[in-house]
Amino acid sequence: MAIVEFRDVSRVYRNGDHEQRALDHVNLSLEEGKFIVVLGPSGAGKSTLLNLLGGLDSPTEGTICVNGRDISTLTPNELAEYRAASVGFVFQSYNLIPTLTVIENVALVKEIAPNPLSSHDMLEAVGLSDHIHQFPSELSGGEQQRVSIARALAKNPHILLCDEPTGALDSETGVMVLKLLLSMARDMGKTIIIVTHNQNIAKMADVVIRVKNGKIKACEEQENPLSVEEVDW
Amino acid sequence: MLIRKLFRTLWQYKAQFISMVIMVALGVGVFLGFNVEWYSLEVNTRKIYEATGFADYRIYSDKGFSPEDLEAVKVIPGVDDATRFLSLNVSVKDDTDTLALTVSENMEVSGILLMKGEPYSAEDEDGFWLSDSYAAANHISVGDPLTLAYQTVTIKGTVRGLVKSSEYLICLPDSTQMMPDYSSYGYVYISPAMLDRSIPKMYKALIGSLYHQINVKSSLDKQAFVDAADKALGSTRLILSKDETVSWAETQGEVNEGKTMASILPVLFLAIAILTMVTTMHRICASEKTQIGTLKALGFKDRRILVHYSAYALSIGVLGTLLGVAIGYGLGWFIMDPDGAMATYIDMPDWTLHAPAFSWYVIIGINAFLAFLGFLSVRKMLQGTAADALRPYSPKRMKHLKFEETKRFKRLGFGTKWNLRDCVRHKARSLMTLFGVVGCMVLLVGGLGMKDTLDAFVDIFYEKAINYTTRVNLDEKTTLEEGKALAEELNGDWSASRAIQIGDKGYSLEIYHITRDKVRFADTDMKIVSLTDDGAYICSRIARDYRLKAGDTLSFSPYDSNEHYTVPVAGVLDSMTEGVFMTADFADRTGISYTISSVMTDAAEIPENKHILNRQSKQSIMDSFDTFMDLMNKMIWLLVFAAVILGIVVLYNLGVMSYTERYREMATLKVVGFKDSKIGRLLISQNLWLTVAGILIGIPAGVGVLQYLLTALASEYELKLTLGPATWLVSILLTFGVSLFVGLMVARKNRHIDMVAALKTAE
Repeated sequence: MAIVEFRDVSRVYRNGDHEQRALDHVNLSLEEGKFIVVLGPSGAGKSTLLNLLGGLDSPTEGTICVNGRDISTLTPNELAEYRAASVGFVFQSYNLIPTLTVIENVALVKEIAPNPLSSHDMLEAVGLSDHIHQFPSELSGGEQQRVSIARALAKNPHILLCDEPTGALDSETGVMVLKLLLSMARDMGKTIIIVTHNQNIAKMADVVIRVKNGKIKACEEQENPLSVEEVDW
Repeated sequence: MLIRKLFRTLWQYKAQFISMVIMVALGVGVFLGFNVEWYSLEVNTRKIYEATGFADYRIYSDKGFSPEDLEAVKVIPGVDDATRFLSLNVSVKDDTDTLALTVSENMEVSGILLMKGEPYSAEDEDGFWLSDSYAAANHISVGDPLTLAYQTVTIKGTVRGLVKSSEYLICLPDSTQMMPDYSSYGYVYISPAMLDRSIPKMYKALIGSLYHQINVKSSLDKQAFVDAADKALGSTRLILSKDETVSWAETQGEVNEGKTMASILPVLFLAIAILTMVTTMHRICASEKTQIGTLKALGFKDRRILVHYSAYALSIGVLGTLLGVAIGYGLGWFIMDPDGAMATYIDMPDWTLHAPAFSWYVIIGINAFLAFLGFLSVRKMLQGTAADALRPYSPKRMKHLKFEETKRFKRLGFGTKWNLRDCVRHKARSLMTLFGVVGCMVLLVGGLGMKDTLDAFVDIFYEKAINYTTRVNLDEKTTLEEGKALAEELNGDWSASRAIQIGDKGYSLEIYHITRDKVRFADTDMKIVSLTDDGAYICSRIARDYRLKAGDTLSFSPYDSNEHYTVPVAGVLDSMTEGVFMTADFADRTGISYTISSVMTDAAEIPENKHILNRQSKQSIMDSFDTFMDLMNKMIWLLVFAAVILGIVVLYNLGVMSYTERYREMATLKVVGFKDSKIGRLLISQNLWLTVAGILIGIPAGVGVLQYLLTALASEYELKLTLGPATWLVSILLTFGVSLFVGLMVARKNRHIDMVAALKTAE
């Protein structure tokens, strides 16, 4: 069943007379529980695609349906509710709240998510049970990214959106994070969508979407994706 | 190119730039304004003192002084000049007005300044030189006839000139009146020749010399002068130095009040301006760190970068100073308005504004300091190699705080924890917010509290203590029996007044006979009390100066006599008059002689009586106080306005700073799914906590500042700090309102957070 449907979606940025078409009449259908990688060069439109799907931005044209609900016409408040309930974000630069401890950063989502999961369980799932009372600044980059994943998961979202999640990490830590994300799809049935430049990550994906000049150049299903260990990092 | 960048940086941080300019302008403006006020008063009063030969000493005698006495004083070494002087309250014929008829034999001492008309002539036998303020209030012009009456004597003449005199710089008929009322009281100078012509020979033979005063210009100190004068005149006389005269004491009191105000309020404003500058410049330099690093990496020398960013701070200082100077002179003009209440109080000709030299040095110093603050902030960012400078500024690492160990903290919601830790992490910003709220509160409590205090003062000393409709003043020749008979006829209470000396200072002894409740007294708790016959009552200024309390003994001697009295102190009173009070029964028992000087009555008709010098209605006293209150109210509303501006500017600047510093965190919350309203509430709640804390600190601080002001005014007025519920309510609600208003303004901004852009940037 398609969890995400893009129908003729365009996103145009206007700056005076100048018009930039970041997404150009995109049609896309994504299945639930898949590990999806969006590939493309800088400026191709992959982050725009992720932002539209995450409710951080709205399309100029077309409709985006998530779980059968059109999110392209939602008000800012409805979009906030959508983000709170349906999607989790993982960013390259972690974006943790520096004045909250690890456990507090994760528990934060209890304030807004309708069906939050246990913060302790999520931190255990990402292997950070021993660091729950530390501040983000006391953790390594990889650990911070795992906190960010735990926070995203604690909302119990349908979809996890990851924008270059390993971009700021060394390869060893990056592999660990990817393994974690993959297990979320495989073991917890979450739909994971990763935007990246890294071609190697695509080898692990169930679906690889290639974006160029705001258009979907290809949307390929991989029957036998590699495991993290099999990929040559 | 860097100059172009400077302007763009100014534009980029326009909110901070504008608020800093306003803060500096307010600081400089208030500082300069208050200093302009007292200094202009000092300079302009000095001018009239010099122009009219204001006397340094006044020697008094009931019997009057002969020309030989004057010569004896003139030859005292250290005496520069002297004159025989007369000041006598007379009535304006067919009118209820009173004029102080004044004669100075030598107009070089205690003379006049001609404002309009003919110059003074010592030979003119029918010319009046009338107070120009009295003339204006009564529509009298040069050339108009004027007739004055004193007992059976009539003095007729023509107004030759309109004048001002430093002897009557504050022209009050008596100490119960706070503000001059030129429509009913003024002064007039005549020549000795006219005085001589007007007084019948028989009368002159009866009273001897009319000149009851010798006014002296001398640089001797008081003790030396008193010793020399007593020796020269052969007996002990009442001698008052210029600082014991109303003209000098009240104007110097105003100058000192101005100095006190200038030492409190501007310090508060300047301190807030400087502290805001510290936090703002640090914040701006932190935001600009990568740009600073880029310039360094490109090859710009540290010195050039330092100059570039220091110029930013300097431009804030210079622009703020220019505005501040305008505000300062505006404030000075507002207080020193030649048509305003201050000009009603002090009758001086020149109201030019002057700023003391030190204020310019302070302002230059502040600008240099602001530039130095900018310099220090940039230097911090430039430290290390170009690579170090290129790294974005990283805020302090979070550390666990002691109170986090408590169970209560653990139970707090995320928003509370977030805000608490943010306050601790950004201590300077939080303290500045707190300081701004405290400042706002101090100004409101101080300003409105001063109004309450003065209202209570009016209520007790005017509404309650003055329980008569009319006060009838009698001349000095009225005998005790005549006075008592008149009081009986008017169904009134009476009082007598004598000048006394405690130590070497002159005071007034007021003797009261109260059977009809026409005069009341207030104790130091502002409660109405009755005088008992057990002893003398002293005002709280005397109690403070001589460390006296009820049960102690007080020694004094009336002037111009060899009597000496030691009496028990029955109580301490808060009073308008700086003096000693007792009942007539106690005075009789003690053996103090007196004659009745005033009768206080509610009689609708006051019969003609040769001893009645003038009448003063309670309404006229109240009206004069209204003028005084107008001036105070102006100042108070100015303070309230300043408090609100200060609150808004400081809180907005810091609010924007807080918003900028937490922009990324708010973007994260927004991405996670927090609604704008919830994020707004989080932002406002921190502001409100700091506001509550600021209010809690501001209340005692405001009371403290008010008490300090009242203590500074204690030599002039016996004021008791009073704060009404409306003051508490308005101060708290207004401070809270300002904080909430600014909080909402800042919180509205979070609707425009660009989640994508904010989260893309590297941490």
